Amino acid sequence: MPEVDVMPGNKAVAYGVKLSRVKGIALFPITPQTTIVEYLADFIANGELEAEYIHAEGEHTAMAVAIGLSLSGVRAFTATNSQGLAYMHECVAQAPAYRTPLLMAIANRTLGWFWSIQPDYSDVMPELNLGWMIQFVESNQECLDTVIQLYKIAEDRRVLLPAMLCLDGFYLSYSNERVEIPDQEDVDDFLPPYEPKHAVDPTVSDFAPGAGLPPPLHTTYRRIYEEILNDAKEVIKEVNEDFGKHFGRTYGNGLIEEYRCEDVDAILVTMGSMTTAARRAIDELQADGHRIGLVRVKTMRPFPSEEFRRLAEDVEAIGVVDRMVLHGTGGGGLGADMKSALYSMEDRPLIINFIAGMGGDDISTMDFRKMGERVLKAVERGRVEREVEYIEHPFKPAGRLVPLKEKRVIYPGSGGCTGCGASIILRHVLDVLGPSTVVVDPPNCAGVNYSSVVGVPWILANYAATAGYQTGLYRGYKLKGKADKIHVVSFAGDGGTVDIGLQALSGAAERGESIIWICYDNEAYMNTGIQRSGSTPLYARTTTTPAGRLWRGKRERPKNVPLIMAAHGIPYVATASIAFIPDLRRKVKRAAEITSAGKGLAYIHIQAPCPTGWYYPPEKTVEVARLAVLTGAWPLIEIEEGRVKLNIKPKKLRPIKEYLRLQGRFRHLTDEQIEEIQQWVNESWESWLKLEEMGKLPWYR
Amino acid sequence: MSGEKHPLGIKGLVGRGGLLSGGGGVGGMYVGDWRVFTPKIDYEKCTKCWLCVAYCPEAALSKGEEGPQLDPRFCKGCGVCANECPVKAIEMVRE
Repeated sequence: MPEVDVMPGNKAVAYGVKLSRVKGIALFPITPQTTIVEYLADFIANGELEAEYIHAEGEHTAMAVAIGLSLSGVRAFTATNSQGLAYMHECVAQAPAYRTPLLMAIANRTLGWFWSIQPDYSDVMPELNLGWMIQFVESNQECLDTVIQLYKIAEDRRVLLPAMLCLDGFYLSYSNERVEIPDQEDVDDFLPPYEPKHAVDPTVSDFAPGAGLPPPLHTTYRRIYEEILNDAKEVIKEVNEDFGKHFGRTYGNGLIEEYRCEDVDAILVTMGSMTTAARRAIDELQADGHRIGLVRVKTMRPFPSEEFRRLAEDVEAIGVVDRMVLHGTGGGGLGADMKSALYSMEDRPLIINFIAGMGGDDISTMDFRKMGERVLKAVERGRVEREVEYIEHPFKPAGRLVPLKEKRVIYPGSGGCTGCGASIILRHVLDVLGPSTVVVDPPNCAGVNYSSVVGVPWILANYAATAGYQTGLYRGYKLKGKADKIHVVSFAGDGGTVDIGLQALSGAAERGESIIWICYDNEAYMNTGIQRSGSTPLYARTTTTPAGRLWRGKRERPKNVPLIMAAHGIPYVATASIAFIPDLRRKVKRAAEITSAGKGLAYIHIQAPCPTGWYYPPEKTVEVARLAVLTGAWPLIEIEEGRVKLNIKPKKLRPIKEYLRLQGRFRHLTDEQIEEIQQWVNESWESWLKLEEMGKLPWYR
Repeated sequence: MSGEKHPLGIKGLVGRGGLLSGGGGVGGMYVGDWRVFTPKIDYEKCTKCWLCVAYCPEAALSKGEEGPQLDPRFCKGCGVCANECPVKAIEMVRE
């Protein structure tokens, strides 16, 4: 008997992945996708799923890993959305050519332009036409079922293309619904193990897929891919029907789902979770005697043109509801697809394209009712008043703002967590640098919580590109003769520094850009909810390195990024701690002097204890930071022009246990693990002492 | 949304005060209602070392004549000040 549980859409996706016996999972956290891969980490950590789990350092890599897994011949999965999807775009475009039937879940979220973490389909829009199969789901049950269906469709030898499963962020990803979890044997019976005949495996054959094509073949191959995608429509329908036979559930015919479309003059067309509200509006309209039905697009690619041509024969007007705007065309993506699908008909229905719900704006039953009425009016009049209509709602600001008279570089009253260590850092950094400062910030919890209380310009940079934004600003000020008067400073987290941001940072360091880099290191991705980073300490528990039956926290030692930065030969590298404020302020001041003199990049790496992610009471923030320094877990160092100095050198380091025991993220540790951490701390401390003894790092002039 | 202000008269350009960029510029949120415990300062004991001011994550404490001054509108009640006070002049009390 299948088990029944109440769960969010992201968990349903994770169950689908588990039941599909996926063998390789590549991940990088991004809201509102993250919990999908967190649930998967839990499954693996507890021995419920056997799979490789790869913590990529950015989405570009995550997609590349997924393709690599699939090329090697194993069933692969990844998940992302929005900015992350855009960042991996190049690799996304590569996957169809390699015929890798991997699955990517997209918990839809708007793509900046202006940011929101709420859903619309602007993130999937640039990926629509690359040769992937793309399905949108309406419910959490459909999340689970579609994972299983899509593996079967993608791995079909008539298809062999990658697939995207789109679930609306928040509306589905974090909302709980009743979900039936099929039995593993039934899923095994439906979805056989993936055994590709075209895997790259030199022990079997010397086959490898080619990536290049001579120009004359490009047009031919585009045609061939269109044929494959067209053929995939039959496979999608077959698999949907077959799924129904096995599990008693189908979703329309797999391409579209009709709702109360018998004897109607008009239809509304929707996608994703908005459909549920639209169903209620159609119920109301039909109860009032109106002849209007509803069609949900489940499969966006390949586009169900034939289905819509058939439906269009019987209706006078179609209202297409779009959560996707094709800027410069005057309308939406689904609307454009609909128009191009129906254009070849001799007797075409009227079409109104509604743009609604952008950036996660709620589309209510009332809104759908109004849209339905507009479409019915078009039927009545035999013409469309406006081809595109925007469904807009008034904005009501929330929260009480307390204006302060005195002009400051940073104000109190932020949205940050109680006892936030990063807040202490930001306040002192800005206080030292003063009002002539531009903060350049990759997405992180500081940006979310402190940018609104900062009194100097704060520029949101794309995650991997902070040092690029800084370089451009700095060079611009240089051209204007103001480089010595303006501090261009980052406020990047550990993810934005040691993982996804490292490439741009390294470039800026090597080019000698006179900018200040502040890394506030809370030792995990805290903004997305405590996932492991390249800076997470050995054996710390995070949501992607949980402590379970098989896993005991993060297995790797963190990167030594201060030393990596020093390897660039930059003029100033330092670490700092909120427990030693005068030292921290002196270092920020020194960094400002060096960059104002145009000597190159100054890098300061500051530990930011995080009560939320490290699981300690908020009043202990400074105490934890102090113990990190006194136990040697966070050595305070300074490398000016290659001369290494340990700023705080206790006569005897305190045992690491004193630092670890305050924090919940280390509560699962065994004595052996603590001993191993102690060893790592000792080795790191000894290394710094040796480097200090050298006087000057030999590669500095 | 009609009626939005255009900074510098440029249509569609959003200025400061946004959620993720711009810098706020004029003040902070009222967060006093986050608090469960509130710092009670004993000015007799206080030595004006100002560590509490330096460590306050929210800058709710500032230097005053007789010692640290609390702006209760911005104190979230984290208790860092009390935990760090070297002479135990701050006590966290339930409101």
